[in-house]
Amino acid sequence: MSITSFYFLCLFALALVLYYVIPKKAQWAFLLLLSLGYFMTSDTVVQSGGWYVVFYLLAAVAAVWGAAIYIDRTAEPKKKRGVLVCAVLFCLGLLCVLRFFKLPLLAPLGISFYTLTLLGYLFDVYYEIGKVQKNYFRLLLFGSYFPVMISGPILKYQEMENRLYAPHKLDYRQVTFGMQRMLWGFFKVLVISERAAVIANEIFDNYDSYAGLPIWVGAVAFTFQLYTNFSGCMDIVLGISQCFGIELPENFRAPFLSRSISEYWRRWHITLGTWLREYLFYPLLRTKFFMQLPKTLKPKLGKKRAKQATTFLAMFLLWFAIGYWHGGTWNFIIGSGLLHWFYIVSGELLEPFFAKWKRSWHISEENRLFVFFQRLRTFALVTLGLVFFRSPTVPDAVRMIGRGFSAANFRILWDGSLFSYGLDWIEFTILAVSLLLFGWVSVRQQKGWLREKLEKKPLVLRWAVLYALLFYVILLGQYGPEYSAAEFIYQNFRA
Amino acid sequence: MSREEVFERLNAVFRDVFDDEDITVNDQTTANDIEDWDSLEHINLMAAVESEFGIKFSMGQVVTMKNVGEMADIILQKVQKG
Repeated sequence: MSITSFYFLCLFALALVLYYVIPKKAQWAFLLLLSLGYFMTSDTVVQSGGWYVVFYLLAAVAAVWGAAIYIDRTAEPKKKRGVLVCAVLFCLGLLCVLRFFKLPLLAPLGISFYTLTLLGYLFDVYYEIGKVQKNYFRLLLFGSYFPVMISGPILKYQEMENRLYAPHKLDYRQVTFGMQRMLWGFFKVLVISERAAVIANEIFDNYDSYAGLPIWVGAVAFTFQLYTNFSGCMDIVLGISQCFGIELPENFRAPFLSRSISEYWRRWHITLGTWLREYLFYPLLRTKFFMQLPKTLKPKLGKKRAKQATTFLAMFLLWFAIGYWHGGTWNFIIGSGLLHWFYIVSGELLEPFFAKWKRSWHISEENRLFVFFQRLRTFALVTLGLVFFRSPTVPDAVRMIGRGFSAANFRILWDGSLFSYGLDWIEFTILAVSLLLFGWVSVRQQKGWLREKLEKKPLVLRWAVLYALLFYVILLGQYGPEYSAAEFIYQNFRA
Repeated sequence: MSREEVFERLNAVFRDVFDDEDITVNDQTTANDIEDWDSLEHINLMAAVESEFGIKFSMGQVVTMKNVGEMADIILQKVQKG
């Protein structure tokens, strides 16, 4: 069941009413039931009848639950460590076997996300940062909370414990804000992303028949498709959770306004970045090997370079992990991993030259044109990485990029070719206008949420804006096959 | 070891790590006050502080330390214990 499907919205409305009617003490248990229900009706389970995948979830939670309690009770560091390693290997083993090794086994919904969420909790208990949760079912809710099951954000237990299990009174403002945020998410996913996908699919699937600029039109379309889909999903997820009175961590902060690649990674998929930094990068840098390395390299490279080289090596492992986590094949490892490592390392190494260049040209850091150039550069570098991400294999991506440089056909911008990539001029205009609206809101959003400003406007204007957006989404949203009559009828045969 | 002494030695460590002879830290100093103090330098700083005082921070302390005052408290605690 997709979160943009009609069924899901109906069930969501029903669940929301029940949630605020039942006794407050039972609310978290109700959320747990909803979560398990959502898990069992997810596409992987329904389409294959593989209901047993729930046991992977239950087992991962059981391992983490038991290990955390043991670690909390035991005083001996060695035993703590042993149990931690066992539990981590068990969870990562499940994740790798089910998701990355291409075995004929079903991977349950959200396994990459709940595995990290659960392990983060276990590390916090081990590092004595967080408290232990003795109730298995409460931990199960933390690991399986249904809004985040689809695509994150990755949760932190300390942040969530006071919100997930607490009683929640109906707060009109929270519910309306949540729903408005969902609507904004639907706008991004259904109006923008689904349209951009048409162009991206056309170009990426037939890149051999294109050369020059159309390749880059396709690449940029994919960047927009991915970003609006992912961040739109996050808006829906955070909005749903807000309706239940549970605030979730933000995953995006307008990443394409970043002026450098390292800033981009602090604003794109934030919860993954934080997780990897705290539970992989820091511990890695504090291992004996990495603590010793700067001292070993110092005589050869000097103090500063030795430190830099050590950091770059650790970052290499970090970015390899990010790429691997995204899919386990080389196009992901390069496209969302090592290429970004290369960007950051070369950025650091070239920094002295950039600084000199900026001084000699008298460019100030806050020059608007310069900032614009930096943002455009970030966008271009990320888009290049996403060509790898979207291509089926690395050679495909390399060939496609090569074709992108094989012609200089700027006339496609005005000779009507733009409307031959799957979207006619009306659809293309809708996409362009929607993107402009989205861009404008993103820039404005930097100065605080527009919703809060809207709240202060007169009632009539408020409703006019919301209805306009609602109808925009309903009329112009490109709905997936779930909405077509054929699919609708077909569902009856499957059950 | 007195708190003042801890801060004196911390100043030396900070100056060395961040290559800036003008740094003087106090109880309220945080990563926001020192330009180069990012997540990477934080780990380097921790390592330098550890070797200066002959102590070892736990991973939890590394991640949750809020300001230099807290760092000094932890150092004093550890030094007096050991």
